[in-house]
Amino acid sequence: MLSRVAESLFWMSRYFERAESTARFLDVNFNLMLDLNSITSVDHPNYWKPLIMVMSNPEHFNAHYQEYNVQTVTDYLVFNRQNSSSILSSISMARENARSIIESISSEMWEQVNNVYHFLQSVSPQQVHTDPYSFYKEIKNASHLFQGITDNTFSRNEGWDFVQIGKYLERADNAARLIDVKYHMLMPKRGQHLDLVKDSVDIIQWMAVLKSCSALEAFRKVYLSKIDPDNILRFLILDRTFPRSITFSICAAQEALWRISGSSLHRYVNNVDRLIGKTDAELSYTTVEDIYQKGVHEFLEEIEQGLIRIGEQLHLLYFAYHTPKIEPLDVSEALPFTGIAGGRANWSQSQQQQQQ
Amino acid sequence: MTRLFDNYDALPERFFDEVISRDGKPRVHYEKMMRRFTQLAPDDIRARRELVNIFFRNQGITFTVYGVDEGIERIFPFDLIPRIIPSPEWKTIESGLIQRITALNEFLSDIYHSQKILKDRVVPPDLVLGSKHFRREFVGVTPPLGVYIHVTGSDIIRDLSGRYLVLEDNLRTPSGVSYMLQNRQAMKKAFPVLFDRYKVQPVDSYPQQLLRTLQEISPTPKQDPKVVVLTPGIYNSAYFEHSFLAQQMGVQLTEGRDLVVNNNKVYTRTTRGLQRVDVIYRRVDDDFIDPLVFRTDSKLGVAGLINAYRKGNVALANAIGTGVADDKVIYSFVPDIIRYYLGEEPIIDNVETWLASNPKHLKHILENLDTLVVKAANESGGYGMLVGPESTAAEREKFAELIVANPRNYIAQPTISLSRHPSFFNDNEIAACHIDLRPYVLYGKSPSIVPGGLTRVALKRGSLVVNSSQGGGSKDTWVIDI
Repeated sequence: MLSRVAESLFWMSRYFERAESTARFLDVNFNLMLDLNSITSVDHPNYWKPLIMVMSNPEHFNAHYQEYNVQTVTDYLVFNRQNSSSILSSISMARENARSIIESISSEMWEQVNNVYHFLQSVSPQQVHTDPYSFYKEIKNASHLFQGITDNTFSRNEGWDFVQIGKYLERADNAARLIDVKYHMLMPKRGQHLDLVKDSVDIIQWMAVLKSCSALEAFRKVYLSKIDPDNILRFLILDRTFPRSITFSICAAQEALWRISGSSLHRYVNNVDRLIGKTDAELSYTTVEDIYQKGVHEFLEEIEQGLIRIGEQLHLLYFAYHTPKIEPLDVSEALPFTGIAGGRANWSQSQQQQQQ
Repeated sequence: MTRLFDNYDALPERFFDEVISRDGKPRVHYEKMMRRFTQLAPDDIRARRELVNIFFRNQGITFTVYGVDEGIERIFPFDLIPRIIPSPEWKTIESGLIQRITALNEFLSDIYHSQKILKDRVVPPDLVLGSKHFRREFVGVTPPLGVYIHVTGSDIIRDLSGRYLVLEDNLRTPSGVSYMLQNRQAMKKAFPVLFDRYKVQPVDSYPQQLLRTLQEISPTPKQDPKVVVLTPGIYNSAYFEHSFLAQQMGVQLTEGRDLVVNNNKVYTRTTRGLQRVDVIYRRVDDDFIDPLVFRTDSKLGVAGLINAYRKGNVALANAIGTGVADDKVIYSFVPDIIRYYLGEEPIIDNVETWLASNPKHLKHILENLDTLVVKAANESGGYGMLVGPESTAAEREKFAELIVANPRNYIAQPTISLSRHPSFFNDNEIAACHIDLRPYVLYGKSPSIVPGGLTRVALKRGSLVVNSSQGGGSKDTWVIDI
């Protein structure tokens, strides 16, 4: 498979997952707002700033908006094209990547990407403000539909594995960032845990974290109604069966990587497999107590750093193939997180060629 | 109820009408078609058009219009009434084009080697050597099988008497063949019965023939030479066609960044490492194909490709430097070129052409700007031209200046009354629209043509320009046995 095709498959899937995550975070925050309305002022920046911390970066946000509130944050995370991880940007990038490999994907997949793109073009900010629930639901469903269509129409070969890797690396990354930020907010003093979180506001907030991962029902089946941070961390980070937990995502990505390279347990054949195996082993043999001992933030940051390194190695190994005589690209030059974005520059030239 | 053809105005004294002969009766090979269309109610027509539109939309058959800030994708307008060519006429076109392409290939081979034709003054050397498409870097280089022009599409028109004439040769990267194939699919869906009644010769084997042609020119004989299509990328107007052809041939569609040259060999970058490439069907112009040799700012090409090609490690289709022979100035010499190399009279003639670089011709051009069509020698796609009878005095003045400033770059031809063919303006109104024909010639071990081609139609009322970028559409083209 051409490296470029593999890369576009990876990014198409990854951007779709990113749009879904953003929709989830926003959706849950809206619900949270309604739940908490009677207890505290919901337009308080504290409720909206963390979204920016999870999905983007506050400096970039501040360059465009004066304050953190429902309107500005929604606008930034849904419609703002300057924000490369807004829903609109993510879906546009997913579509650009799909368009460049249209002969390699199934026509149903292309249609679905296209549908979502055109749906987004037709939605106004006003519609999202008046009926956020329907809008976010549409985006989440669109993403599920896309992955479902892919599962049912796309051959189970290398290409499909790259789609899986894109989806699960993005999911693990988003989960890690979400937990990190929420934990930071709800548990400001390190070392004190468990009993301190009794406050109902905090309980509601933790439930919101679960909801944003569609994890509330699944969580209840395992831990009944004991919504405490211990169990929540255990579930969202370490659970091996819940499809949005970090460990599950890492395992799924690892399986796809193994199918491509032929690695197996304890026998890695390249750096990506080594790094993801290391992360998997770390998660597999960790307890919640270990996480506390290390510090939740430190632990999650290590996971996030690991994911970045995995992404870099994936890029070097599969997408930026070079002969030994050609100097390897410097990682920072290799534009690891843009997918097709670089292709934009080629536009003016490709249109300079006249049609004969 | 008025019948579909009742108000059709063929104007046989001004234009050759493909369907209605001078005596006002339909030509024999169009009778069945006319009967069928007359039977259809506007609703039937609408339903069939809908069917065809959905087919095109779902296939993503679009082209990009330039000059707009961001590329806009449009569906190429398709006309439901097929153009029918009886096999005896087709035989003339076929043999005429094969003769022409064979001679043009000889010409290319000659000017890139011993340049006999220039020494014999059949073609003025300055017109060839001074052409912007002449690649002196390739003098002395012999492509595999000595073939330069593997895929060509010459535009053919008919004059008032119905004579077929070649209007222009496209020897670089002619586009449109995907429409020929898709139009046929669409017509089979919309008019299965009519299609069945005519014995239409199939065009569906084109992708296989193209692949065979490409494999034939592999520089190293192999069981299965690796062929790739090279596209400028998704923003190119013909991107759909590039991806369609790659998919139909079952080969990889690559961009410049997918290919890498090492030790003068070309490879694709794959997830499993580098894989050797033998033949590149390139849809990237010479200028952009290798930044080390041609335009250094090109991001679409492959650095080192030209050296690999010169070394004979990879074949390019078409070869580099073929544009020199489809230059509109060289065009006027093609009949002489045919006589020179083949010792035959041209089977299909040229359109009469005046060269601005010839002082006598220049005088004629400047005096008759209001009746002539003036074309820039190196432009394509209907850009850079003046249609005399439709122009304003200011436009003519501007062109006169341009021509005098750079005579080498301009030619003029009489405003030809392209033949006309009934086409739909809306669901129950047809009108006579101008058409041309672009058959596609493949040339590997020997030249061949699939029976058919792309019939382009000027759907703007009265317009003579059939290019897709200028509001043209297309028709399915049926070559039938009679």
